[in-house]
Amino acid sequence: MELFQNLIFGFGVAFSLQNLLYCLIGCLVGTLIGVLPGIGPMATIAMLLPLTYNVPPVAAMIMLAGIYYGAMYGGSTTSILVNLPGETASVITCIDGYQMARQGRAGVALAIAAFGSFFAGTVCTLIVALFGPPLANMALNFGSPEYFSLMMMGLVTAAVLAQGDMLKSLAMVVVGLLLGIVGSDVDSGIKRFCFGFYELADGIGFVIIAVGVFAVGEIISNLSDPEERVVFTSKVGSLYPSREDIRQATPPILRGTALGAFLGILPGTTPSIATFASYMIEKKVARDPARFGRGAIEGVAGPEAANNADAQCKFIPMLTLGIPASGTMALMLGALMIHGITPGPGVMNQKPDLFWGLIASMWIGNLMLVILNLPLIGMWVSLLKVPYRMLFPAIMVFSAIGIYSTNNASFDVYIAGMFGVLGIAWRLLGCSPVPMLLGFVLGPMMEENLRRALQVSEGDPSVFITRPISLAFIVVSLLILAVMTLPAVKKRRGEITG
Amino acid sequence: MQAANLRLVKRIGVVVAVAVLLVLPAALMAADAYPNKPVRLIIPFPPGGSNDIVGRLIAAKLSERLGKQVVVDNRGGAGGVLGTEMAAKADPDGYTLLIASAAYAFNPALYKLPFDPIKSFTPVAKLGSGPNSLTVHPSVPANNVQELIALMKAKPGQMICGAAGIGSFQHMGTELFKMMTKTDFKIVQFKGGGPAMIDQLGGHSQFSFGSLIQTMPHVQSGKFRLLAIGGAKRLKVLPNVPTIAEAGVPGYEATNWWGLMAPAGTPAPVVDRLNREIRTLLDSPDVQKLFEKEGAEADYVGPAEFGPFIEREIAKWDKVVKEANIKVK
Repeated sequence: MELFQNLIFGFGVAFSLQNLLYCLIGCLVGTLIGVLPGIGPMATIAMLLPLTYNVPPVAAMIMLAGIYYGAMYGGSTTSILVNLPGETASVITCIDGYQMARQGRAGVALAIAAFGSFFAGTVCTLIVALFGPPLANMALNFGSPEYFSLMMMGLVTAAVLAQGDMLKSLAMVVVGLLLGIVGSDVDSGIKRFCFGFYELADGIGFVIIAVGVFAVGEIISNLSDPEERVVFTSKVGSLYPSREDIRQATPPILRGTALGAFLGILPGTTPSIATFASYMIEKKVARDPARFGRGAIEGVAGPEAANNADAQCKFIPMLTLGIPASGTMALMLGALMIHGITPGPGVMNQKPDLFWGLIASMWIGNLMLVILNLPLIGMWVSLLKVPYRMLFPAIMVFSAIGIYSTNNASFDVYIAGMFGVLGIAWRLLGCSPVPMLLGFVLGPMMEENLRRALQVSEGDPSVFITRPISLAFIVVSLLILAVMTLPAVKKRRGEITG
Repeated sequence: MQAANLRLVKRIGVVVAVAVLLVLPAALMAADAYPNKPVRLIIPFPPGGSNDIVGRLIAAKLSERLGKQVVVDNRGGAGGVLGTEMAAKADPDGYTLLIASAAYAFNPALYKLPFDPIKSFTPVAKLGSGPNSLTVHPSVPANNVQELIALMKAKPGQMICGAAGIGSFQHMGTELFKMMTKTDFKIVQFKGGGPAMIDQLGGHSQFSFGSLIQTMPHVQSGKFRLLAIGGAKRLKVLPNVPTIAEAGVPGYEATNWWGLMAPAGTPAPVVDRLNREIRTLLDSPDVQKLFEKEGAEADYVGPAEFGPFIEREIAKWDKVVKEANIKVK
């Protein structure tokens, strides 16, 4: 068994004292920056990059990778505890995770997030080891038409699965699509809805909207409701999940892992798409979808697993093809090149210690994160006992620092403030911001790929149905639409005839 | 009483005189003592790109030489305009510096700038330069630039070229090629060089004028075929790869460059000092090696020639933007 030999070789590399140490440092730093909404992995890796010049390449990569997935891990902590998405991908965790915290189940939510992430990490480490190179080549078959059809499937699913008032959900999707239009048009470079602000030329950042709507909006509306505050702080409850919790969380973790792994291999998707998709699916398959948004454990377990699976599988295109799937990955590629290693298919053969060592260290890193985080849950949860008059200003300050440091731009902080106000308005109107965020993420990518596909096909729309992968996504979207609308139609018909 | 007052005045006078004597040399020395606090280096692009890599390298080495920390400040946005504007409006005291790149020379033609690209800055030194690279997907039946041009002419408007976005270095090099060869092909825009490369790896787009650092790994693995590089001369590290100019488009040159700029009005002694340090650090073999790893070369040019170089670049790309009718505003 060559694979096992390779993995054993990899663990041999990763278990050296030096590499374990760098792995631990990476995980610690990553968790820290994930918990602090201020700094993201991108800025941290950029800052630490020069420090790694004098470290052996394997150790450097192990540390940087540790920061990367440590941040993913830590990001969920603030989402659950204070409704503040530390990282882009943990926005979804805010929805039910924070509600769980309000019901005194913060510890359970944190533990499930940790277990889910660990399980997804383990599976994806195996996937990277087993199928890395062939999968990466398969992902290259995704051109603009395929990405467009995939995004469309996502949007159709979102629109159909939206709970509550259908009209409000659709309206929020449209708001998201419109917000996504802001910025330079990729194809012509024309600035759309920038109102003369250069600051808007690159569009509005996802984190800015998310922090504005969730964190700022949440705080202000909490202030208007003094009774709720008291209830919230007095309950902390059991720290660890019950058997019932685990039973409920297991299927979502499995589904989230599969979904995250699939989307993670595609270099053209972002982790937020995996978490959104997982949340939507969980809500749909749940026996009682009404629990979602009110502290459903599935809404934490699925997206957290999907997030981690996606983050790990993004290493497949990076290690095997040298394709960075995100800015953070691009920085890691840069680190490799500084060490004189050319990323790409050659890495596996020329630098087996790096390839297999990194893969093994990912699993070790995930294990370390669980070990680090579980005993810390008590500590994190005790954060909730901090009186609101101290916690709220602190959250506001951290949010502001976080938004500012993404682009070092105070303009972004004003925009977030504006979205805070909008967030309250939406809350009062009973409009969920989730469909809006989905539209915001998918809209620009859909538009970009649609136009590119049509540009290449010279305006011939048949390109979407003549390419098999694209056709498959379109068929699935239509099926979803049919399945979802049929009962409604039947019911309506029943009403009319009966 | 009077005498006492007088004595007090005298005493104050002495104190003031001593103070002036003590402070004056310090004030005079201030210019020599540059820097006496950390220096801010604005990189007008987000972390991760070539500007950032070059900027951080220079910041680290310059900190060693100046004895004060040179702090990197990434101010990305609007193709580098935001960060550049911030540097243009900073105090010209030598404590705010800017990393400029080829985009600095495209932007005057592309945007209505809130500063004057020539008058708002004092050039300190050119740091390095790196050519673009003309690569094709292996399915394209062209082994050299001539054959590629022949293919384009045989199928006008059919071949697909990926680019990293309107007004990017890749896009400008592509338009220059189109203009000089009088060929017609589709330019498909992506958000950045990475996504454009992924598309070409899958064979969806057929060729591109990508930055060498990004395409090199795929050339080595055989997923791309490197036809030529866009520089004025061959690269030391790739002696067998012709320039596009040699290979059939005489006069073609699309080279990305990086330079250090200071806001206009920065005292000459400060500019001289920085220029001296840059010259020394670019001479060191390990800095040169780091540039090579970025598919580029350390390329020192002093302030006297660097200013006219920038003006030539601005004029050159202005012509390309006008002729290709690129509109961004």
